[in-house]
Amino acid sequence: MGGTVSRPHFPHTFGLVPTVNIVFKGKFALITKLILLSGLSAILVLLIESAFAKKEYAIALFLALSLVALCYTYLSARTVPMKFFLPGLLLLFAFVIAPIVYTVVMSNFNYKTGNIISKQEAITQIKGLGVEPDANGTTFDIIVGRASTGEYAILASDTPNHVYFISTATKKTDLLPSQVTLNADGVAIAAPNFTPIPEAQLAGHEDYSKINYSYQNNYFISVQGINVGAVFRQSLRYNPSNDTFENLINGKIYKDNGRGNYVNVNASDDVLQPGWRAPNWFANYEKLFNDRQVRGPLIRVFIWTVSFAFLTVLTSFAFGLLLALTLNKPMRGRRIYRGVLVLPYAIPSVMSILIWGGMFDTEFGAINHLLGTHIAWFQNASFARTAVILVNLWLAFPYFYLISSGALQAIPSELLEAAAIDGANPRQIFKKITLPLLMQILTPLLIASFAFNFNNFNLIYLLTGGGPKDLLGGQIAGATDILISYTYQIAFGSNTQDLGLASSISVIIFFIVAGISLYGLRKSKVLETFG
Amino acid sequence: MKKWLRNNLWRHAVSLFMCAFALFPLYLVILSSFSQTGSLQLTSFAPNGLSWRNYKLLFSSPAIPYLTWMKNSLVVAGTVAIVSVIVGASSAFAFSRLKFKGKKLGIQLLLLVQMFPAILAIAAVYVIMERVYRFAPRIGLGTQAGLILIYLGGAMGVNIWLLKGFVDSIPIELDEAAKIDGASPVQTYWLIFVPLATPVLAVVALMSFIGTFNEFILARLFLVDMSNRTIAVGLQAFIAGQYSRNWGPFAAGSILASIPIVIIFLSLQKYIIGGLTAGSVKG
Repeated sequence: MGGTVSRPHFPHTFGLVPTVNIVFKGKFALITKLILLSGLSAILVLLIESAFAKKEYAIALFLALSLVALCYTYLSARTVPMKFFLPGLLLLFAFVIAPIVYTVVMSNFNYKTGNIISKQEAITQIKGLGVEPDANGTTFDIIVGRASTGEYAILASDTPNHVYFISTATKKTDLLPSQVTLNADGVAIAAPNFTPIPEAQLAGHEDYSKINYSYQNNYFISVQGINVGAVFRQSLRYNPSNDTFENLINGKIYKDNGRGNYVNVNASDDVLQPGWRAPNWFANYEKLFNDRQVRGPLIRVFIWTVSFAFLTVLTSFAFGLLLALTLNKPMRGRRIYRGVLVLPYAIPSVMSILIWGGMFDTEFGAINHLLGTHIAWFQNASFARTAVILVNLWLAFPYFYLISSGALQAIPSELLEAAAIDGANPRQIFKKITLPLLMQILTPLLIASFAFNFNNFNLIYLLTGGGPKDLLGGQIAGATDILISYTYQIAFGSNTQDLGLASSISVIIFFIVAGISLYGLRKSKVLETFG
Repeated sequence: MKKWLRNNLWRHAVSLFMCAFALFPLYLVILSSFSQTGSLQLTSFAPNGLSWRNYKLLFSSPAIPYLTWMKNSLVVAGTVAIVSVIVGASSAFAFSRLKFKGKKLGIQLLLLVQMFPAILAIAAVYVIMERVYRFAPRIGLGTQAGLILIYLGGAMGVNIWLLKGFVDSIPIELDEAAKIDGASPVQTYWLIFVPLATPVLAVVALMSFIGTFNEFILARLFLVDMSNRTIAVGLQAFIAGQYSRNWGPFAAGSILASIPIVIIFLSLQKYIIGGLTAGSVKG
């Protein structure tokens, strides 16, 4: 919504030019600029460095480009317009445009619980999970320390059999009982070429516990606590040359399916966990239209979203217009009425929605108290929907009252007088002149309001949470869920968080809202001002 | 008398009815904030006794770090209001006054961007900030600084758009006169535009303040720590699913948090309504 905020009178400021000039020209200005710019550059350089170190190349690249742009813009004299909007532009790019682009990218990814990490991380985790203990479940008492080479080592003791050895990631050295010093429990605590690390110091670093210490054949020892090691063997082996996992025990081969998982080549439902985020192109969109599990709730939610936005605009506008007409003529107490009537619009809506939530409480709520009923408002779809519309009526009618009375005053009174002189009665004047003019003025605002309510997340989330829904039936969409709250549920709410699917719904909502808004703008002729 | 009745009675009846509707929840919440029990249950719609118990709880109970929440809200909303107006105003000035390549495209893009509800990209914002957290824990997910940055980005579109409309309304002759006097665009901006626009900038800043103060979902997703939360998130979490138990302190807390916003709103009413209708009435 464009337009002016106000039009103050213009004071004469030209006389100030020479006196304030010093702030904009000369050494003082230059030094201030350089100090600010170098401070900002230092911060950016630090961020770029650490982003690069953590392999967040896209972010590092963006920051580096910002740095170059900042320095070039403010150090060269050639880029005057850029000097004005670079900060705003950078913020817009980083936190509005980049997320929009990223949403579109994510909507083409298999990006959900179980497919959140990168492929490299997934391979590491699969390797870590793909182990099994040996048949006897052998364990050793161990002491963690360092070998003479400096690498981590364990001194392992099999106390009943008096077997002792030192083991590192690469080498196992057997020891004779005579070579080791035992404690009272018969556990070796000292040996040649082995320096124990005191337990107190181990707490600081976790690296030692991630090493597979050598044992025999395919088996290795994994640290299971500060002084216990257990024998495992790798059951899944990664083969980097053809990017497959092989199960060493039963010989099954798992291949990258191109959608973020290693899948058994012979059985497509045998999948290794975890997977990784991988492009699946239009699979999320396809799911929206073809998967009945997804499509069913989506259509229901869509219908309710449109009905809700339409009904809420209709009811609030009706009440607002009625009030505007009522209070359009001078009358006693008009100012007080006006003051009271805008209150619902002035109060932070988060607070008032929560207050209404309490009022609709079944047991103790004021609404049931007032009506003398015992309705479980948020347990029944129709009641919950009624409550949503009613609460939004309370929240929104002042807005429609304000814009309607603004529009009423914008209608030239000569028109109405002329009609009266021509013999039209008040009803005819209203029907034939006032209302059409009013609608012409207000239609763009009504459309904008429709678009806003289409995504009125706070109302739904804070009042009903989208419910009622049958959670036991595994339902994600509730009776009052609108598209955006449903999307939020898919992305963050339920057990499986599906960011890819949520993004694809977001993209679709965007097109719907953009369509509505552009239609509204065409109506309000804002676009013509570019012509 | 009869004529007065016919002409005015229905007006008063309608107005009174709507006032009652508007005031009903507010009356209830004030009533329960002063109740002695702090429970949601109403014994009657008339006040019985006055107690400061719920208000005292807000400032003494360790379970409700009310002052911290309030301070967080003021810091976040205040920073966003001030910075977004400073940054937005200069962009708006450039879009309105300076000539450069791609201006028309820029304005159209801005129009499109300011229509885009931030909440649609919320999953992407979350993932991006999660990644930022990995290398810069101070501005990543879970920090107020990160949240402020996101709000700033989100406020840009609307603020630039709003302020551009204002700059457009300042007669271009002023700029031209300044130019003849030898002022550069930077000087024109600081010496002509900023002094003229100060009241408007203040209004836009306060509107941004109200909007940010009232923002819930990003704050909810971002601020996990109790001590980090804004008032909206704090009170929501406090009441969530326990309407009956914490109702009294919640009512008191909402009233206190709403008062400054209501005052700002009522004193800006004229401008806000002007902003609401100006665009359409003009067309």
